[in-house]
This record gives sequence, C-alpha cells and structure tokens, in this order.
Amino acid sequence: MRTFLMIFVVATFTCNHIFSQELFLVTDPASNVPANSLALNIMQSAFKEKIKSGTNYHFMPEITYGINKNLMVRASAFISTRSDALYAEGGSFMAKYRFYSEDDLNSHFRLAAYGRYSFNRADIHQEQIEILGHNTGYEGGLIATKLIKKLAISSSISFEKALDNNPNHPFPTTQGNSATNYSLSIGKLMYPKKYTSFKQTNINLMCEFVGQTINQNGKSYLDVVPAIQFIFNSQARLDLAYRQELISTMTRSAPNGVYLNLYYTFFNLTK
Amino acid sequence: MTNLKNIYFTIAAIFFVSIANAQISKAEIRATGLTCSMCSNAINKQLKSMPEVVNVETDLNTNTFTITLKEDNNLTPKIFKDKVEKAGFFVGTLFITANADAISGANYIKVNTVDAKSNEIRFQVLDKGFVTQKEFKKLTKTFKNVATYAINNEDDFHIKVLN
Repeated sequence: MRTFLMIFVVATFTCNHIFSQELFLVTDPASNVPANSLALNIMQSAFKEKIKSGTNYHFMPEITYGINKNLMVRASAFISTRSDALYAEGGSFMAKYRFYSEDDLNSHFRLAAYGRYSFNRADIHQEQIEILGHNTGYEGGLIATKLIKKLAISSSISFEKALDNNPNHPFPTTQGNSATNYSLSIGKLMYPKKYTSFKQTNINLMCEFVGQTINQNGKSYLDVVPAIQFIFNSQARLDLAYRQELISTMTRSAPNGVYLNLYYTFFNLTK
Repeated sequence: MTNLKNIYFTIAAIFFVSIANAQISKAEIRATGLTCSMCSNAINKQLKSMPEVVNVETDLNTNTFTITLKEDNNLTPKIFKDKVEKAGFFVGTLFITANADAISGANYIKVNTVDAKSNEIRFQVLDKGFVTQKEFKKLTKTFKNVATYAINNEDDFHIKVLN
C-alpha cells in the first residue's frame, strides 16, 4: 500500500507539468451538466486480453441529465464482445450532487457526492471490481475539483461493493468483494491561447491516475490514462485515451487499452 | 382596519409600479468559475432561452455576456443570476442599464447618492449571488449599517448607480 501511494504521488507530480480541463474521460469532475440539459456520451474501448488472446471491445452509451443546478442523473448501458458476439451485459444508474462551490473569476473549487448502482450478467473473470461494465454492485464516493485558469485538478475517493452477477454468475467467495477506489485527474486547456468564437475547436490534454485496493486483502492496482480531447463548436467532444497499468497485485483480464469517446450536449431541453 | 387595508393597497401599488416599470434594456454579466468555451456556451444557451432576450454577445476570454432585451419586459436582476447558476456557474458582476423609473420602486435600494442625470441609468447589483464570494464578504462589512443588506431578501436589490 505504501509503495502504491509513493508511485501515486510521484506519478502525479511528473504528469502535472505535461497535462489538461475538467471534462475527464474515466472520472467525473465535481461539476455537473447544466440544469435542463442532456448530454449523450458514447464511449467505446478496446482492451487487449492478458490471459487469452484477442481484444475486448466495450460499447457504453450514456445519457446524463441536469435536474437542477446541483443535481444530475445518468443512465448507462454496457455492451461488449467478451463472449465473442456483441452482448448486452448490463446497465447502470448514477446520481451526483454538488454540495459545495467556491467560485471566483476563472477559478473554482467544488465538492460533490455521488452514488451508482449497476447490474451485469456477464461472467466474473477478474479480481478487479468494476461496476462500470463488469460487476453488479454499488458505489458511493466524493469528488473534489479545483480549476485555476486553464488547469483543472480533480480527485475522488469511493467505496465500491460487488454483488452476484445474476442469474448465473455469483461473486466468487475466494475474492474480496469490496474495494476502495481513488483517482487523480489533471487537465489543461492547450488551445486556443485566446478565444475568438464558440466555433473554435478547443484542445485539452489530460492525465488521469486511477487506482483500487480490495478492502479484504489489500490487493491493488494503479493505472495511468493520458488523453487528448477536442471540443467542437462548444457543444461536441471527441476524446482519445490510452490506459496503461502501472502496477498491479491482482488478476485483471484486460488492463491495457484505448478509449474513443463521443459526447454531445443538448442544451435547454424545455424552456 | 381601513388603515391597514390602505397600507396593503399602497404596498401592492408600489410593488406593481416598480415591477411594471422595471424596464431593463441591457445586462452585462461577468460569470465566475469557468474558462472553457463549452461552459460559456452553457450560459449563453441558458440566456438565449429567455423570450425577452434579443441578443447575447459573449467575450469568451473574460466570460462576459452582454444581453440586449426587448422593450417592456418585466425582468428583475434575479433572472440573470438564476440562469447563470442553472448553467452551473455564478455571477461575478452584473451591470444593468434601465430607464430611471426602474429603480424608483421599493425593491431597489440605492447605496450611493449619485442621481441619474438622464432617463437611462446604469447600475451594479451588489447583493449576494451578484458579486464574487470574496467581494460579498467585503461588502457585508461596508454595508454593516444597511439593515436590508444583511437580510439577503431575494426580491430586493442593493444597487450602486454608475452614471
């Protein structure tokens, strides 16, 4: 655990100088989508299988709605080719509440709490607990985000509990079924240096660290996710990212791979 | 009893007059808590969703939104705060241009003694939620003798006249 923390801290400072804003790829910031707006996100990922040969393709469409200025809700679906053909494995619901904001010109510090419930019917094939696309279970966590001019730094901690993947895949009794997750994300607006219009393409560079420790046995992993993000017309987003395992003491079926994310915001659904 | 009725009537009349005359022609908002153009666009779209809005000009570098409004609208400064907050951000400064009658109503409290010379006046709203959090702390000290300022009534506005 101490080694993990060391790497986490060192990696953080190394990456700090290189990278990104706060619309992160694998983690959420404390900010929400605007009230009365709908965001559609299509995340696709291709991860290389470690134990058997081949690549896992995951397709994860997501809709997020801003109920009011502090509360947003999201529904996701998980489809993958882990069982060779495209297979709808499950879905997820989450809600995030922003409970603290300290805003100033070009800066903010915000805190949010979130909860998520997911269901999944796929087989359980790794010690890593991931309710986004692998396990049935629930998660609750806290997020803190600081934005200073063009730099955003966000960190989260959460508790995640895996349940049986009903109907056919009970959670293995030999594995720890709850975990503590932690993340640190840094994003920086690289382009434009000076804005001229909403139509200008923005480019953000990001670097995220995502880690997990299984509560029962202390088995852990830490991944780094560098990403590049394009924002078109101040309304659509395209993200490309690569996820690489830095260190791991647990079995994971496919830790390394790429993400392609397409995101579109429909502002003001009703007046 | 009749007196009480008269008082009610007078209060209602003042309220009605001030609302009816509150013709804001222009609002300039500087929003806080953002730097990305997608965030500015969220505010831009919120403002444009108002039927009273003719046009919104945005300076993305300073996050300043200049809103031109239709004549004879009944808007008060509160709507601008609500719209910016709905987008997920806050108002840092709000300057309003309106006809002079607009601030004669009971719900506008002048904190300076500058008298408007023309029929059109420009003023800044100084209440909580219309200035940055830091500025509000300072203003709370400055206006510690203004009883209404500390109450934070959402429907009255403490204004500094600029012309």
